[in-house]
Amino acid sequence: MSSLALMRFLEAAPHRYDAGMRLITLGRVTLLHRLLAEVSVPRPGAHVLEIGCGTGAVTEQLVARGAVVTALDQNPEMLELARKRLREAPNGSLTFLESTAAEIDGLPEAGFDVVVASLCFSEMSESERAYVLKAAFQRLRPEGILAVADEVSPERPWQRVLHALLRLPQAGLAWLLAGRLTKPLRDLAEEVRAAGFEVRAEQRWLLGSLTVLQAERPG
Amino acid sequence: MSRAGDVARDALQAALRLFPWPTEAGLRRVGSPGPESPVLITGNYDLTVRRLLRALRGLDAWVVVAPSSGINVWCAAAGGHLTTHQVVTALKTSGIGSHVHHRRAILPPLAATGVLGREVSRRCGWKVRFGPVYAHDLPRYLAAKAHKADDMRRVRFGLRERLEMGAAWATPTAIVLGALAALFSSSWVLPVIGLTAALAFGVFLLYDRIPGPRRAIFAGAAAAVALVLAALSGGGPAALVTAALGPVAVTALLTFDYPGSTPIEGGSHFEERRWQITLDPDRCMGIFSCWEVCPEGVYEKRENPRKVVLAHDERCIRCGACIVQCPEDALFFSDEKGARIEPQTIRRFKLTLMGQRTIDSGEAPAEASDTA
Repeated sequence: MSSLALMRFLEAAPHRYDAGMRLITLGRVTLLHRLLAEVSVPRPGAHVLEIGCGTGAVTEQLVARGAVVTALDQNPEMLELARKRLREAPNGSLTFLESTAAEIDGLPEAGFDVVVASLCFSEMSESERAYVLKAAFQRLRPEGILAVADEVSPERPWQRVLHALLRLPQAGLAWLLAGRLTKPLRDLAEEVRAAGFEVRAEQRWLLGSLTVLQAERPG
Repeated sequence: MSRAGDVARDALQAALRLFPWPTEAGLRRVGSPGPESPVLITGNYDLTVRRLLRALRGLDAWVVVAPSSGINVWCAAAGGHLTTHQVVTALKTSGIGSHVHHRRAILPPLAATGVLGREVSRRCGWKVRFGPVYAHDLPRYLAAKAHKADDMRRVRFGLRERLEMGAAWATPTAIVLGALAALFSSSWVLPVIGLTAALAFGVFLLYDRIPGPRRAIFAGAAAAVALVLAALSGGGPAALVTAALGPVAVTALLTFDYPGSTPIEGGSHFEERRWQITLDPDRCMGIFSCWEVCPEGVYEKRENPRKVVLAHDERCIRCGACIVQCPEDALFFSDEKGARIEPQTIRRFKLTLMGQRTIDSGEAPAEASDTA
């Protein structure tokens, strides 16, 4: 199964989110979290801002690698689960904020080495994405890293067709069950560049429908 | 969009009303708005946005569409899809701040279950106030310099709303049940669709209009009349079955509540109803935000001492808007045994699809922000 559309259903019920995500990505979501954390923590003690931390799966990996994390999510139920998951985190290594992505503009400028966002840009409107990417740029120190994992349209036409076919029933189900609908992003790399970043690496997963993108704020 | 296209889209959306229909969030212009023009906020449910834009025709205004997951304002606010966060997001990211000199926005009062005005103000500097319940009252409201007349405060459930809800339930259920019937016999399809439509429209038209004890008499009489009519018109066995079952089934369905589909409680099996809205008069400081947002006219204002009273608590439908808005935490839900659902719980945890709160009343909510 290659689609992340069902994720919307899972988000409507935070307590089944983690198990459900493992199921619909055939276990690969755990790998994804690890990869994202690997590219996100250049050294122990790095200051990481995580947008849309959800139940804290990526947060856990970031903290395990010695990062000092500020993790935000707008869903209080998700945050509750994240707090539970990370209650053993070392003192001072972790701050949770109940806030929207757009509100990162209130955090200190150039205050972070890394900004991480997993599966949340595809939930935003275009204007919101542009705003958040720009705000993320300003939160980063020069040479700071932006690491994003998100659902995108595959690049090759045959993959796009296959992906659309596989996605449709799941998206329909998610729409009926959870009232959530998202569009895969068309060109995330371009939007990231438009905010001033330089894209350093991009990996595609799941038939090219999931991207893991690394970009840098030029020094 | 053309007039015909608009009508067709209205009809399709009315039929599929139970499902979300998202439109792009962001800024819309009505007329030629300037830096002093009013700013109105709504959710990104397509039907709502188009109705709002139509209601504002001839005026100059800014409309900020907040991302509410394609769900209408009331359901989204009650279900956690239109909260303070989405409103803050829309105000920040739509770019409206660069178009106007003021920082005043008008929200529909049905958003009050989810959106906390003073929190919006703290987070992004915009002052929000709750306008009229219905978009078609906006021109009058704006012309009166944002003065809300009493007839703009209450939610209605008249013929139009009842027919809309009937169609919203009739269409998807008729499609599903009709398709299932077709698997057995094609002659069942029309009676099943007819019965489904009769049920849906019957329930919403009669809902709360026939009190409990009289329902059995009503069911028998209606079934008899329908049977006679069906027989006289020469209907076959299928038509007779439909005629007999329709009224009986309607009556049975009248004993349920349909939270989310009606702003009234006409049924009798509603677990949530044990929770009563409760006022702690000692905490009430006479700010009247509850009175401002109540869609059912439960509250009345009193002077000397300046406090609110629960004048019509029998009208309360437990939407929670007053509890969410009260800055003094003077309102909460309680039951006969003295159990309470505290305001913090109502603010943080939203209603589920079935109209219930997702956590137990006893669970203590954590702080909004902390360091692990």
